[in-house]
Amino acid sequence: MTEKKDMRPPVDPLSDVSWARVERGLWARLDGATPVPAAAPRSRRWVWIALPSLAVAAVIAIVFASTVETPKPLPAPLPPVVQMPVIEDPPTRVVSGDAPSSVTVGDAHVTLDADSAVVIPRASDSTAVLERGAAWFAIAPRTGKPFVVVAGDTVVRVVGTKFRVARSEERVRVDVERGLVDVTFRGTTARLGAGQHWTSDARTADAQVIEPKPVDKQPLDKKPVVVKPDPDVDQVKFERAQALEVKNPHGAIALYLEVSKGSGKFALPSLYAAGRLAADRGEPRGRILLELYLQRAPRGANADDARIILDRLKGPSR
Amino acid sequence: MGIATEAVRAGDLALAKRAANGERAAQRELFLAQRSAVHHTLFRILGSNRDLEDLVQDAFFEIFRALPSFRGDSTLTRWCQTIATRVAYLAISRKKPPAVDLALVEESLPDGTDARHEAQIREAARRLYAALDRLDPKHRIAFALATIDGRSMAEVAALTESSTVAVKTRVWRARKDLMKRAAKDEVLKSYLTELEGGAP
Repeated sequence: MTEKKDMRPPVDPLSDVSWARVERGLWARLDGATPVPAAAPRSRRWVWIALPSLAVAAVIAIVFASTVETPKPLPAPLPPVVQMPVIEDPPTRVVSGDAPSSVTVGDAHVTLDADSAVVIPRASDSTAVLERGAAWFAIAPRTGKPFVVVAGDTVVRVVGTKFRVARSEERVRVDVERGLVDVTFRGTTARLGAGQHWTSDARTADAQVIEPKPVDKQPLDKKPVVVKPDPDVDQVKFERAQALEVKNPHGAIALYLEVSKGSGKFALPSLYAAGRLAADRGEPRGRILLELYLQRAPRGANADDARIILDRLKGPSR
Repeated sequence: MGIATEAVRAGDLALAKRAANGERAAQRELFLAQRSAVHHTLFRILGSNRDLEDLVQDAFFEIFRALPSFRGDSTLTRWCQTIATRVAYLAISRKKPPAVDLALVEESLPDGTDARHEAQIREAARRLYAALDRLDPKHRIAFALATIDGRSMAEVAALTESSTVAVKTRVWRARKDLMKRAAKDEVLKSYLTELEGGAP
């Protein structure tokens, strides 16, 4: 007799890291908000694009917090390793969806990768928080307070430059295209010039300062140029995942899964690759991913390989 | 049972008051206690964790802003889920999301998981949510909570702040639209039938 199975789709939990991000963002928003207004403001999430010229300080984006009347310091109960500066004006939270997006706030032009979120200060006080994903920051030269980006335990301070901060859970990478940035990570500061990059690994708790590449000295431009994102983002991610398979298989699987969520030509190959790699590592989800691949592409390019792997996982035949 | 419910409601009211007064420890306690329920509700309506971090945060932001109005008429969990439903409705109404990808398994699974069954369900659910993307938001939410999540009509009515009659109508309309779309998709058709317990 066959037991009736539960046909409801499983509810996938959020990871601990995701919950930590949700909680951090929530307290930051609450501390930036006023006491409850009479009418709840419409919270529009998606942020859209950008001005043709950095000379025009146009704010485009979308808010979560309502109006702020009095500035409040960040709450003590938050367990920050880095002491965040006070944000005196209501911040703007910018979230990109499936496609990269960009926004200009004050003299900062920010281009977000897909699936990224940044909290940007509205006025000249200049602390941005990279909640997840990656973003290019193009900052006009300034003489006042430096522009600051906080990403987890990492603080990046700049004075007139263009740089990229990428965050994957608690790992951060900073690339500098122009100008100078100081990167502080748990008490250690590294200064990066044009062409240099830096990365951290939160698990080891030590920052790794990458040997600088030969510096291509360029004068600081007064008008930072925005580089448009690579249109074939999926291909870049897919190739990056392939490169990561040996050194960081967990990261490679995560990247494959990210690409497989899309509908581009790399989606199915990524789904197969994630399943193959997970199966190789003995992870139970490998079987499910390969079955999913076969559901969607029973005659796909990797279908035969997927079946071979699944047969191998089932063990010797009776 | 009545005494236990009263005790729960009294506890909820006390916690809500402390959190509404800005006590961070109470806010955190509330967040930790309700986050699973809020996440579950949003997941059922939207079908995946895509964008859910933002929506969960939005929901809790609205919960904390509305806390001064919580009177203890329902449990805190039910109240939070109602707000989460509202947030989901606004998100769906504002923008048509892309086809939801329920299919991806990002966490480790317990041993003994029936991989094939799980994969079939996920694929079928992916098609279902892709079809739900095209429905009226109210119909979608009613169907997701009643049919997929298995809640009673009365409960769905409470969560969506509408009447039982309205919920029944919305579920019926959603089902009708879905069956029309499922006419060309045997997997979806069979899944809809299974979800509804075999009744045509």
